[in-house]
Amino acid sequence: MPQDMPPAGGYRPVQYKRNVPARGFRPVTYLVGMHLFMVYGYYQLFHGIREQNELAREKLWGRLHVLPLLQAEEDRDQVRRYLADKKREKELLGTEVKIYNSDRFVRPTFAYTPSKAFN
Amino acid sequence: MSRREPQFNQQNLYDATPLPKEIPAVTEIGATSAPLTSAAYFIGDRCKAFNDDYMKCKDLSNGRGELECLKEGRKVTRCAASVIKDINTHCLKQFNSHWECLENNNHRLWECRKAEMDMNSCVFEKLGLKKTIPGAPENQVPVHLRPKQLYAAFPGPQY
Repeated sequence: MPQDMPPAGGYRPVQYKRNVPARGFRPVTYLVGMHLFMVYGYYQLFHGIREQNELAREKLWGRLHVLPLLQAEEDRDQVRRYLADKKREKELLGTEVKIYNSDRFVRPTFAYTPSKAFN
Repeated sequence: MSRREPQFNQQNLYDATPLPKEIPAVTEIGATSAPLTSAAYFIGDRCKAFNDDYMKCKDLSNGRGELECLKEGRKVTRCAASVIKDINTHCLKQFNSHWECLENNNHRLWECRKAEMDMNSCVFEKLGLKKTIPGAPENQVPVHLRPKQLYAAFPGPQY
């Protein structure tokens, strides 16, 4: 029996390559484009952060300028309450009791509550 | 539980005892946060010496600053009140528009540059007080004088 032989003129070439057209631009374009986009973003970010810092500085110094004023008001109120407490204590107990072994001003933890609260 | 009436409420426990007579009285500033924010740099410009003096006194009095620095505190309050009074007499319109703008914009200074420019120029003309931000970089325009701001809600020129 004769062996199978290739057809006359040989086999046709095998198509192993995909025949799909390459869409879009060259890959390097995308790479460069992405980097340009990011550089723009970082540029904006840089200036935004610089501006944020300056705005924060402005806000901080505005607060620092009124801080002693607010502190003075609060301190006066604390002293008023402290002296009123002292006076009340003197009236009720007849003597001044030293609670803390220190000369510092201590904000009171507990408040005096009258038995008959006034409105 | 949360609907229970509070038994120790602030209304009934209000201590109204005034300061003793021998401590000189001072009228409190009485301004709310927006006007104070608006006038902060002018207060800082005129009252810097008093403010520093008060803070220094508090620092040096070893925890008794509340009792010992009352005099310096009164000076601070009087000075700030004088600034507010002067602004009220000379630049009331600009001051009102600026602090109302701040009040409407969550106290963001950068949203109110137009009103601020008006107020700053008026205050500088009439009172000679100037807004300067300490520590700002010298080679740049100060942030409150920039016509273009990235963070402002209004994208156009700020003033």
